[in-house]
Amino acid sequence: MKKKSFFLVIIVFLLALIIPVTHAKAANDNYLQKVKDKGTLVVGTSADYPPYEFTAKENGKTKYVGLDISLAEKFAKDIGVKLEVKNMNFDSLLVALETHKIDMVIAGMNPTPERQKSVSFSKIYYTGDQYMLINKKDAAHFRKIKDFKGKTIGAQTGSLQYSLVKQQMKGNDVKGLAKLNDLVIALQSQKVNAVAMEEATAKAFAENNRNLKVIDPGFDIDASQTGSAIGFSKGADSLVNAANKTIDEVKKDNLINKEYIPAAAKNMTTNGKKNSMLNYWTYFAKGIEYTLIITVVSVFFGFVLGTLFALMRLSRNKLTHGLAVSYIEFVRGTPLMVQVMFVYFGIGAVIQSLPALIAGIIAVSLNSAAYVAEVIRSGIESIPAGQTEASRSLGLSQKETYRYIIIPQALKNIWPALGNEFVTLIKESSIVSIIGVTDIMYQMQLVQSATYKGVIPIFIAMIIYFIMTFGLSKVLGYFEGKMKHA
Amino acid sequence: MPNLIEVQNLGKSFGDNEVLKDINEVVKKGQVICVIGPSGSGKSTFLRCLNVLEEPTAGKVLFEGNSLTGISENELNNLREKMGMVFQSFNLFPNMNVIENIKLAPLRVKKLSDDEATKQAQDLLERVGLADKAEQYPQSLSGGQQQRVAIARALAMNPEVMLFDEPTSALDPEMVGEVLKVMKDLAESGMTMVVVTHEMGFAKSVADEIWFMADGAIQEKGNPETFFNAPKTERAQDFLSKILI
Ligand SMILES: Nc1ncnc2c1ncn2[C@@H]1O[C@H](COP(=O)(O)OP(=O)(O)OP(=O)(O)O)[C@@H](O)[C@H]1O
Ligand SMILES: [Mg+2]
Repeated sequence: MKKKSFFLVIIVFLLALIIPVTHAKAANDNYLQKVKDKGTLVVGTSADYPPYEFTAKENGKTKYVGLDISLAEKFAKDIGVKLEVKNMNFDSLLVALETHKIDMVIAGMNPTPERQKSVSFSKIYYTGDQYMLINKKDAAHFRKIKDFKGKTIGAQTGSLQYSLVKQQMKGNDVKGLAKLNDLVIALQSQKVNAVAMEEATAKAFAENNRNLKVIDPGFDIDASQTGSAIGFSKGADSLVNAANKTIDEVKKDNLINKEYIPAAAKNMTTNGKKNSMLNYWTYFAKGIEYTLIITVVSVFFGFVLGTLFALMRLSRNKLTHGLAVSYIEFVRGTPLMVQVMFVYFGIGAVIQSLPALIAGIIAVSLNSAAYVAEVIRSGIESIPAGQTEASRSLGLSQKETYRYIIIPQALKNIWPALGNEFVTLIKESSIVSIIGVTDIMYQMQLVQSATYKGVIPIFIAMIIYFIMTFGLSKVLGYFEGKMKHA
Repeated sequence: MPNLIEVQNLGKSFGDNEVLKDINEVVKKGQVICVIGPSGSGKSTFLRCLNVLEEPTAGKVLFEGNSLTGISENELNNLREKMGMVFQSFNLFPNMNVIENIKLAPLRVKKLSDDEATKQAQDLLERVGLADKAEQYPQSLSGGQQQRVAIARALAMNPEVMLFDEPTSALDPEMVGEVLKVMKDLAESGMTMVVVTHEMGFAKSVADEIWFMADGAIQEKGNPETFFNAPKTERAQDFLSKILI
């Protein structure tokens, strides 16, 4: 299972600097009451981890399933509220919990000592073994850890398996990737010789792919590290107690083994049967819709704000000039991915109800504005001073000069560069999938998890992006032609 | 004749470089003045100070008795529209066709109706001999034609004075004549003009007064006859001997 990654540590640290921490440590906390008042239990998970959590299609609709989801459903029912599942990157879950975007995390998560510093965990509800997924043709010579001498082993970055391989297979190279799907692709294309995986997950992959096989390589396991528990905000004892009660009942009736896992397995096999890409076109359609929304809205605000920043930067007023320069340089000097996370978790901590889509649009617009501002500024500066002088000598004001002379000419000059920026935006917007905006990239990952096919969904996503960017270039080229005479 | 422009103790420096030094001159209504002098002597800077495209660093410039410095942008715009300017590099607006170039300021500054502005622009194009080019874009015109459009554009604001900064220097020789002809007609119509030029023939035949400029100061002035035949200062003699070879 997965461990807190280094990246997450950094983000939490940064957030800790800006968010006043006000977690009440009282025994009589009101976390449970708050959830009951809302009427919904918001659960964060990372649905690419069968049989714990993954997506399945039922009557044309996508839903979250798996043993964790079944357990969460029972818990919600026990405390008398509705369940709402929020799907995001595993790395983002604890930040979301910390910033109260979600009430709890259930994602096959181990209650490691370091996590316990910032999270209150329930009892362990399930413990799985640590296995290895290999290509079937290698089954004859890969049986135990010692058979892998000098081979490359894949594992999910920041996961328990990753540490196990590091510690117990010292002679091997470890290849870490963030997504299990990508690891399985690497295995099939012989980039790695085996992938260390949790038992149930490994079995799910093998079941859906005839060329793969599961083995038990005999990892030396410390039982306290392999169990899964539910995570709550630090100090949310009322919720922890309620969850423990549910877990006790589940254990008493052995519900996980008798009901939840079989149900998950059924969903996995139905998924496997329907894994022709045609069945998943609605996923991609929805992805295109969101990618378009983000791009179009961000292009609009990016352009408006970019023009504003460009004019500010050209202003003779030192303050406005300085503000614009600082903004532009700062935004261009930081990765969009970090900006997206900062807006969602940082600003989202102040405005609790900020949806991921809006956060994504804000981040991408603000980012684009900085680049557009520079394009516009260079366009304005490329207009010869004689144009301004001619205009001013006719008695036009500075504003009129900008409006009738400079901006129209600048716009024509920078049209190709602006167009290029907007094409870039379509591609770069894919980063918003990390905060769970359901764009093309995100849908692609869902399809990968649902179909156990790694490469084809990537290929389809690539084609879709290409059609969109190529189409946009053509449209822009058409308008560029129309502006030629000017 | 009343004073149209008065230049009082005008000075201009770019950093340490003192380009204009304490100039005191008057342009009277209806006068045609040609400013001549060696390259880098400050002629362009002087002309641009007259409508404050360059901000003077000392002294002041009065137009019809009103100071052009130390006033609001609005007031400056109002005075500037009465002073037409023609540049060496034409500076037509490439995003507009010929007639739009001419109509822009009348429409936006004078707030003429489109009909009035169009009518006026057509008359002006007639006057500079380009009535058939109204719908063309500047890039498709020759240099001489562009400069004539630029003159028409400046005239469209019915200015009290026209400032020319070497209007023919960027032209191929065969086009110089057509532009000078338009300027000569303008002078004969009674327009007040300040012309920075290297065209000595034009200066001789059209100017009422020659101002000879060197080292940021007007060294000598007089009517063309006297100036060209018997320059008083050594600088002017030297300059003319080089030019007239
Ligand atoms: N914007 C400016 N910044 C700094 N120095 C300038 C600027 N404009 C002009 N100068 C300097 O002022 C001096 C006079 O220039 P100006 O253009 O007025 O000369 P000119 O007599 O018009 O010359 P020419 O006959 O070559 O056009 C030159 O030394 C020039 O380098
Ligand atoms: Mg000059």
